[in-house]
Amino acid sequence: MSLSLYSRARSTAAWRISIWTTVAFSICSAIAFVIMYLLVARDVQSRSDAWLTGEAETLSEVVANTPRDNLDTRLVAEVAELASHEVMAAEESNSQTQQSVFFLLTRTGREPIWVGPTPRTPFLGALPGAASQPGVPASIVVGGHPLPFRVVWNTAADGSRLYLGFADTAAAAMMRRMIVRFLMIWCGMALLGFAISAMGAFRTLQRVERISATVDRIGTEDLGKRLPEAEADDEISRLSRTFNRMLDRIQRSVNQIRIVTDSVAHDLKSPVTTIRGSLEVALLHGDSEDWRERVADAVEKLDRLSQTLNTALDLAEADAGALPLKLEALDLGVLVENLCDLFQPSFAERQHKLQCHVQAGLFIDGDPSLLSRTIANLLDNEVAHLPAGRQVAVSVCQCDQYAEMVLEDDGPGFPQELRARAFERFVKGQHSSGHGLGLAFVNAIVQAHGGCVTITDSSAGGAQIRIKLPLAKVPA
Amino acid sequence: MRLLVVEDDEAIRTFLERGLTEAGFQVDAAADGRSAEALAVEGIHDAMVVDLGLPDIDGLEFIARVRAQGSTSPVLILSARRSVDDRVRGLEQGGDDYLTKPFALAEVVARLRNLLRRYSAQPESSRIRVADLELDLVRREARRGERELQLTAQEFALLEYLCRNTGRVVTRTLILDHVWRMRIDPATNVVDVHIYRLRSKVDVEGVPPLIHTIRGIGYVLKSV
Repeated sequence: MSLSLYSRARSTAAWRISIWTTVAFSICSAIAFVIMYLLVARDVQSRSDAWLTGEAETLSEVVANTPRDNLDTRLVAEVAELASHEVMAAEESNSQTQQSVFFLLTRTGREPIWVGPTPRTPFLGALPGAASQPGVPASIVVGGHPLPFRVVWNTAADGSRLYLGFADTAAAAMMRRMIVRFLMIWCGMALLGFAISAMGAFRTLQRVERISATVDRIGTEDLGKRLPEAEADDEISRLSRTFNRMLDRIQRSVNQIRIVTDSVAHDLKSPVTTIRGSLEVALLHGDSEDWRERVADAVEKLDRLSQTLNTALDLAEADAGALPLKLEALDLGVLVENLCDLFQPSFAERQHKLQCHVQAGLFIDGDPSLLSRTIANLLDNEVAHLPAGRQVAVSVCQCDQYAEMVLEDDGPGFPQELRARAFERFVKGQHSSGHGLGLAFVNAIVQAHGGCVTITDSSAGGAQIRIKLPLAKVPA
Repeated sequence: MRLLVVEDDEAIRTFLERGLTEAGFQVDAAADGRSAEALAVEGIHDAMVVDLGLPDIDGLEFIARVRAQGSTSPVLILSARRSVDDRVRGLEQGGDDYLTKPFALAEVVARLRNLLRRYSAQPESSRIRVADLELDLVRREARRGERELQLTAQEFALLEYLCRNTGRVVTRTLILDHVWRMRIDPATNVVDVHIYRLRSKVDVEGVPPLIHTIRGIGYVLKSV
């Protein structure tokens, strides 16, 4: 049980994060300790070196000032022993101090004086390796002694040479204790660090775990489900919000697809049914008077169908960002004016007054065919939906870096409930006979040109559609 | 006039063959690029109608090959692809006009006639006469019998287009394309309104009507 828990924990990101944090923490603290250790060791050594040189000078003076008689050997030895005792007494017991200090005075023609650990042979063997400069401490390793000795030597006027050596066993023991303590503390710190970082990582990643569990539960059935969004603005909360926004989009798309399928079912199926019906009647009564009429009717309906299909395909391409634009420098004013000329009789037919005021010379980079269809679409809308005898005004003028086309009427205006969704496909007024793709198409084409479309109320109380298209960089 | 129709869809090929034959063309039809190439090398066709989606080679490649063999016959491209890029590529590679599916037969006929006229480069006459209707293309004036017609520039252009295609049915799409230079597909009866207005000036009471509506297809100008 605990083994499987362990192996499960090992596969988690939280585990890996904790391990890495702990390793990094341990390495950093070890480096810090090593630096500290080296600094302390240097201080300790310079302290013992200072004692060593001072004592060696004192002893040199004693040796120099002691008259050469039978007693001088004993006197110097006594003084040397006393000195070593005096300095180290505060810190260590006698036996150890004796083991760690030696004094050697070589004298020409006389027996050398030795005060220090026995046997002295390894010392005498190692001493020639000491530093060549008098008065400067150097390290030598003596057989049988674990610690190296710091040794300083002086030469007296009579040619006798004084060696004073000192192995700081007390400091060495202190440093050893320091290492042991550090290792213990270090292990504790690593364990504690691991525990803290593991707890943090597990807690944080548990939220991710919850997100993935929730997302997992969100199927097509309950697309309405959302992740809880915390107040905090950290990465995980942002992840939740991003997920929720994505779900919003997916839900909208799914709804859109439902609307489209419903609309296709209605808008395509019913004309297909009537076309089939009228052709069937024509077949059954092929000799009757109105068969020509029925076939013509069928052809007209088929034209409408293929038009709807084309617009729907254009929209799908525009949505996928795959609508190929054949851009050229276009005078928007001229384009709009030509279209107004084309539509003028249609407006007159319904007793509308179409006014067209355009500023010429506003060049945009546009696809003439798609933009003509876009504007024709809007004019078609006006012709089809405006109650008879209204005013329609079209204008084109410059607005900052944009060419702006404004189309407004004094009709009943856009139904409020439709305005927000006007650019969605298959959204249309209750009494509209169109396919409901018109404004969606307009919006898609204008956006593909880097422009925007807005719908507001006109000053005359009707609808106002405003299209902004970026002006061409270099006027043609 | 002899045409080569290259179209792999049997239903469309048959309908084109029938429709174009009835329109007075001699028609050779091929279902794939290879057999079409075999027919094309004879160099007897005045124009070609080529579908882009052929089973063996790409329609555009077929056109390129035929052109490489020295054929100069105009080509009308049929395509189910709708994107402008393809159209442009088609035109650049020697296709001379294009139509996207679904299309009206009248449109195929009209575009072919247009291509053939363009290629045969007939001398332009400055006057067109149909029955008692007379158009002066230089002074932009029209008369019906003794009566001078008061036409706007648009109406004159429309009448001119109908007269140039006397006896042939033209669709609304063709009218928009040739008179207004717009490839748009209005949902409302924009073109019809223009025709009604023109008709009210040309076909007044007491004279035999010249402009006729062919329901479901378009219009034709002819004296009955």
